[in-house]
Amino acid sequence: MPGFDFSNHNRNVALHAQGVPLPKATSTGTTIVGCIFDGGVVIAADTRATSGPIVADKNCEKLHYIAPQIWCAGAGTAADTEFTTALISSNLELHALSTGRKPRVVTCMTMLKQHLFQYQGHIGAYLVVAGVDPTGVGLFTVHAHGSTDKLPYVTMGSGSLAAMSVFETQWKQKMTREEAVDLTSNAIQAGIFNDLGSGSNVDVCVITSDKTTLMRNHIKPNEREQKQRSYKFARGTTAVLNEKIITKEEISKYVTVHELSSDDDVVVVEKMDIDS
Amino acid sequence: MAASIFSSNPTLASGPNYSFSQAANNAAAGVKEHSFYPYTDNGGSTLGISGSDFAILAGDTRSTSGYNINSRYAPKVFKIGGDDETGEGAHIVLSVVGFAADGQALKERLDTIVKMYKYQHGKNMSVKACAQRLSTILYQKRFFPYYVHAILGGIDDEGKGSLYSYDPVGSYERESCRAGGAAASLIMPFLDNQVKNNNQYIPGSGEGHELVARKAEPLPKEEVVKIVRDAFTSATERHIEVGDGLQMLVATKDGIEEVYFPLKRD
Amino acid sequence: MFLARSEYDRGVNTFSPEGRLFQVEYSLEAIKLGSTAIGVATGEGVLLGVEKRVTSSLLEASSVEKIVEIDQHIGCAMSGLQADARSMVEHARVESQNYSFHYNEPLRVESCTQAICDLALRFGEGAEGEESIMSRPFGVALLIAGIDEDGPQLYHAEPSGTFYRYDAKAIGSGSEGAQDGLQKEYHKSLTLAEAETLVLKTLKQVMEEKLDSNNVQLASVTREKGFRIYSDEEMSDIVSRLPTN
Repeated sequence: MPGFDFSNHNRNVALHAQGVPLPKATSTGTTIVGCIFDGGVVIAADTRATSGPIVADKNCEKLHYIAPQIWCAGAGTAADTEFTTALISSNLELHALSTGRKPRVVTCMTMLKQHLFQYQGHIGAYLVVAGVDPTGVGLFTVHAHGSTDKLPYVTMGSGSLAAMSVFETQWKQKMTREEAVDLTSNAIQAGIFNDLGSGSNVDVCVITSDKTTLMRNHIKPNEREQKQRSYKFARGTTAVLNEKIITKEEISKYVTVHELSSDDDVVVVEKMDIDS
Repeated sequence: MAASIFSSNPTLASGPNYSFSQAANNAAAGVKEHSFYPYTDNGGSTLGISGSDFAILAGDTRSTSGYNINSRYAPKVFKIGGDDETGEGAHIVLSVVGFAADGQALKERLDTIVKMYKYQHGKNMSVKACAQRLSTILYQKRFFPYYVHAILGGIDDEGKGSLYSYDPVGSYERESCRAGGAAASLIMPFLDNQVKNNNQYIPGSGEGHELVARKAEPLPKEEVVKIVRDAFTSATERHIEVGDGLQMLVATKDGIEEVYFPLKRD
Repeated sequence: MFLARSEYDRGVNTFSPEGRLFQVEYSLEAIKLGSTAIGVATGEGVLLGVEKRVTSSLLEASSVEKIVEIDQHIGCAMSGLQADARSMVEHARVESQNYSFHYNEPLRVESCTQAICDLALRFGEGAEGEESIMSRPFGVALLIAGIDEDGPQLYHAEPSGTFYRYDAKAIGSGSEGAQDGLQKEYHKSLTLAEAETLVLKTLKQVMEEKLDSNNVQLASVTREKGFRIYSDEEMSDIVSRLPTN
């Protein structure tokens, strides 16, 4: 059975009635923006993830891959933006395979809005969809309830007003790629510095008809300064009540042990190839 | 229908026409409940540490409401009983965090009381007396409290640094260190470990339960300033309501020194 | 002159053309009718002494209360209308308790005296026309003895609302003679025991009755014991060591 598992729903309602609060989801109280320029589209995001007033991740990725030339910036509930974009990405890939054509941005936007509308806003994904397809450049916003907009420049998330103020004062028609990157970066920085839900770095993704460039941490305006004191504890500072040594021979009875020759052999997390 | 003659709005022609005196009541049957909540949370954090001959009170200078920044420089630490503009002559420091308007009102009230005290009794109010007075001020508003976490600092009658922390309705205690406000739960464990040496043992002093715990030893002023700075840069990293600037008031026998360090503004 | 006085000596809030408040001045006269009270401040503490006028052999001497406690560290002796003194002492007691409630430390002796003198001026009509509690000035003077961070102190408070600090002071009917005696005998290095004999000796000189352990009372305020009224045994001891003449 595909789809969501609702088996805990009744139990959770009962718990909620007894006053047990819902667990706090990680939300990307966020600034995300998008802007078209002459020959392409650029989207950008900040990198702060929050759980209430606490910063859950100082450098998270809010720019999601949909197709090689369609990317999505996500605000709202982190899990919802991640799973929704991943789901649509898969379906769009299947769609591209069965039609034998490159996927279109409108198609992606339509799939997203239909999916989100079906769940009546319970999937808290607020997205900026951008890309270039054979019909041209596309830039949309999709709200959690399923409504969409098609505009030359867009902002979303808690920092949307701060970011929009930059667009409304500086945006102009027919910008160059560099101008668009600078404008979106400035819009994100307005969010980073003026909206508490947004912070840390600026991620930018530029999509043109022949290339997609993801500029992770394009600007890092919030590097932490060095700490005043050293917090190295003398060995033995922590109390040890008992100690048990498990030898390699012992543990290999249960799992397979691979010998690592040196530190250089540490597995590097797979890197995504984004230019096709 | 008579209403349609006066209506300039065609969409409203068939519906109700509003006037200020008679607004439409679209609410379903039932009583509409109006409420006024007199408090807001303005975020931010404070912290105080007392030493052998000094007391430091510190606070970030950000004031927030929701996801917005009201001000990047709104002090939370104050000199009490000194000149209105310069604070000169003050010997007591107070920090307030929580609802900024209440904090301001509380500080103003304590300040005038300390000044009046000097006129009436011909001597400076001791930190101990001021601590008790602050408690009674807070408790007098037991059923409409000042929504603040207050910390009071100064030099006691023996010349030692003293620090008192309060709950919003006046329960108070003399302590060696205390964090208050939004990031109190982030900073307090750090202080317990670095100031009181909690959960630290002397390496090789014994086995198992025989291991000897490290005792708290008085820290020099310079080290305390470093601890305060690290506490605030760390809180700024992980709490969205903390940042912009760090203000410190250092009380010694020679008076009160003010120090400011910028913090991250994101 | 006498005619002019009768015009201006009725209202408590009316100056005479010479700039005098007769009712306040008369209140000072009331004190001169009172029994003698003496206070002596020493380095060890302050001593208060009063004569009790036991006017009848049927009068219970212990019911004559002319030295009272204000707080653990402050006491006072009175001369004049005793009933007036009660409300002054009550005010001082409330003020002292209120201070320690708010400040977690004892009230200073000067502040206590000031509080009493603030009350002394609350006669006549209020400034805003509100009802006043008192219709006339107090008819009593107090000797306030206490100890605080500045050491042992003695204050004299009058119905006029003025107060002064003294090393030794006598009030009441025998005050003139007693003050002369104190002036001659007082010196800075007096001990408390010496003060006890000085006070009783001075009282003895100005009392009409013959002094015994029943018609005088002593109290002291010291750092160790605070305010304390002397017991009958202590009184007899001190009276017995007085020089007989």
